Amino acid sequence: MISRRDFLKLSALATASAALSSCAPIYRRIAGDLPAVPWTPLDASDFLALNRLTFGPRVEERARFAEIGLQAFIEEQFDYEAIDDFDCDILLRPFKTLSMDAHEIEGVTNQLFDGYDRERPIRELRQATLLRQIYSKRQLYEVMVEFWSDHFNIFIEKEPLFYLKTVDDREVIRKHALGNFRDLVWASAHSPAMLVYLDNHVNEKSHPNENYARELMELHTLSVNGGYTQSDVMELARCLTGWTVKKHFWLGEFTFDNDLHDEGAKNVLGLAIQPNGAALSESKGQSEAEQVIERLVTHPSTAHFIATKLTRRFIADEPPQAIVEKAAQTFLNTNGDIKSVLRVILLDGLPLAQPKYKRPANFIASALRLTNAHTEGALGDYFIRMGQPYFGMPTPDGYPDVSAPWESNLMPRWQFAFELMRNEIDGTKNNLKHLLDVAHLHLRQVQVSTGILQDDVDSLTSLLLGAPLERFERDGLIASVHSADAAPEETLQILAAGILASPAFQWR
Amino acid sequence: MLHTLPVINKSWMPRFAFAPHNVAPRGDTLVVIFLRGAADVLNMVVPHGEDAYYALRPTLGVPHPDESGTKKDERAIDLDGFFGFHPSMSALLDAWTSQQLAIIHACGAPDESRSHFKAMELMERGVDDERGPASGWIGRHLATLNTGNSSPLRAVGMGTRPQRSLSGSVPVSALRSIADFHLGGDQRALQQMRAALNVVYEDDVLGQDTLSIMDTLEQLDPATYQSPFATYPETEFGLALKQTAMLIKAEVGLEVSAIDVGGWDTHFAQGSVTGLMPSLMKDLADGMAAFHADMQQHMKNLTVVTMSEFGRRASENGSLGTDHGHGSMMMVMGGNVDGGKVHGEWPGLQDGQMIGPGDLAVTTDYRDVLSEVLQKRLNNPATDQIFPNYTPIIRNLLR
Repeated sequence: MISRRDFLKLSALATASAALSSCAPIYRRIAGDLPAVPWTPLDASDFLALNRLTFGPRVEERARFAEIGLQAFIEEQFDYEAIDDFDCDILLRPFKTLSMDAHEIEGVTNQLFDGYDRERPIRELRQATLLRQIYSKRQLYEVMVEFWSDHFNIFIEKEPLFYLKTVDDREVIRKHALGNFRDLVWASAHSPAMLVYLDNHVNEKSHPNENYARELMELHTLSVNGGYTQSDVMELARCLTGWTVKKHFWLGEFTFDNDLHDEGAKNVLGLAIQPNGAALSESKGQSEAEQVIERLVTHPSTAHFIATKLTRRFIADEPPQAIVEKAAQTFLNTNGDIKSVLRVILLDGLPLAQPKYKRPANFIASALRLTNAHTEGALGDYFIRMGQPYFGMPTPDGYPDVSAPWESNLMPRWQFAFELMRNEIDGTKNNLKHLLDVAHLHLRQVQVSTGILQDDVDSLTSLLLGAPLERFERDGLIASVHSADAAPEETLQILAAGILASPAFQWR
Repeated sequence: MLHTLPVINKSWMPRFAFAPHNVAPRGDTLVVIFLRGAADVLNMVVPHGEDAYYALRPTLGVPHPDESGTKKDERAIDLDGFFGFHPSMSALLDAWTSQQLAIIHACGAPDESRSHFKAMELMERGVDDERGPASGWIGRHLATLNTGNSSPLRAVGMGTRPQRSLSGSVPVSALRSIADFHLGGDQRALQQMRAALNVVYEDDVLGQDTLSIMDTLEQLDPATYQSPFATYPETEFGLALKQTAMLIKAEVGLEVSAIDVGGWDTHFAQGSVTGLMPSLMKDLADGMAAFHADMQQHMKNLTVVTMSEFGRRASENGSLGTDHGHGSMMMVMGGNVDGGKVHGEWPGLQDGQMIGPGDLAVTTDYRDVLSEVLQKRLNNPATDQIFPNYTPIIRNLLR
């Protein structure tokens, strides 16, 4: 198997020289480059729907959607394990920490004689996240992974989460992203990363710490006005005493330490929890908080909160109440089956969808997807400057999921568009000629550029924005970038950058 | 341009031109520093005259100014015989002794949710509960006072996203680093790109603002900025204050600068005299002191306010940290402050004096402080619109 470094060399050569055309099939296979196939322009509402179900619809997704329709497309995406994702898996292969246990990850960051690189697991997880959003065919699944990563937000830069978050990402978020909400909360509550992030690993009988207990109710389940009190927070914190993380040989594994557990009687949300008593087994202590979790995940406030957040993500910043209520009812009827809730929101809600401003990660992923760019995913500084590095939100509420906070930081988006289309980003390459071939197949049914700039812009805007511009808009844009001494190819790069930087591309 | 696509609904586009009733020349430049995460104010401005403080904080308590068994630089710095600065805030003593720094203790909001997110939301909107207006208090200040200033830098949120408090009908700018606004690269390509941006953002206020900021900031570079009077800390906070100073001196129309300082949610191992929380305090104090020194010529027209969403529990928790509490503290710095004083009624830390699970009570509403700043220093009388359903008490913190 070729290494990632070999692949990058190879792809650079393949891009640079047609003489290496014998490499092209491998190159395409592993780089996610698309064969130029005829594709179908979608109407505006279908394009918008696909923009919610994916990180920006590629042509083969548009073709599939046109072929089978919304409902079947959703069902196909729901059954994500049946979707072959070999191409994406290959790209992830170099990131060895993704499949490691916490103590192994800690180990590779701590090898005195072999380079000490504690940024490695963070870097690999961030790169993998972007590569999956771009290259995975399981797009709706990845959209949900992002959603739950926000909902159960963990700040990877807090000590010592650099070796714990990777496991949480794999065993909590990715494992249950399209499963059952109860299993998600359950796994998150037993996740060392979450317990450390919200200080429950030091929540002890003699020194209670209420941080996790509060956020479990406020942010993960009931929501702030969901009907709990300060007393419930303190009582749940007592139930959670002793939920901690192993050290040394079993570093980074969940454990319940009965010696640290408060054995007194408790009452959370009206649920009376009787004293443990020395005669009872240790698991009785652990089961106290677990009883509360079972109550939290089936609570009507939780159903309403999760339905509201999902509807906000997929439909509109101001979620239509009728959709929220129907989704919440479905949540209760199905005991938190995520697909069932989503089905209601998507099928009933998408016709009501309102434009949403792309968050930075979505902007970057969609620009790279729709331009068929090749990237190794190392774009950290762009994410930082746009304000959304993965797992980089310090506070447990996750990044905002409404448009307003994101709308005014345009400059780094413009710079990204400019540098992407001019191929000035290290490790990220884009082939405008190939992109135009793909784009032209739609409007003109020809595989080569006509050489007419107006045609090129029409094709690019159809591909990137979903529809061509009005003629006067297109001609105004072309006139603005006219420069006597610029090569036509360079002018085309600026036009493509201008389209990616435009307001229309910032909305989805 | 590029807006009339079928996908895009026109309704998200316009930010309506807005003509407020109040017309007045602009007042002070306001700098609002928000300590995110609920700062432990009892260890910042220490009530060393209160025995209960030391009983509640056996390990985290900051030693009394006269504590003989402790080195002098590890004790609280006495301010008025009852309160004292944490030793890592010593840089602020210059501003204090020159009477340009006032402290309002036991200050805060009525909300008792002890939720960071709810408390910050309500405080930044300047409302009592969710039913109030959705815009922020600074946003409503900008919207209710016509100063004849249409600069895109009229109000700036330092960072990548503008603060909630700035939201409203007047466009504001987010600014992480002035250097980020210098588009780099090939000159001809840049000119083409700028022309394309000008067309695609033709009728977009934020886009046009960003282009004019780009042009305005082309000449400013924080890396080479030198102040003869001050050295700013090499931190995000230091950079934010330095850039605020640069924008004020460049006279680009800055009226409000909002700055966040994160990391104050100290549930775990916060440190007493040294450690996590003291290093946050040092960054805060060193930054404010540098700004105070650098801006001495401008202090007459400057007001700096610090705030945090609530305070922390009076007693330390078992993890050598503190849990969510209630009453907080504000600082006001500027040339027109009744400074060198701790204002506000001190409610005490004994049983029966505290509220909830053992938290400092609030005796001064944060809106009293902000209303006075707005009325006296920013020439805006419309505090009834900025803080709806609230009648402020003017506490004479300012001239």
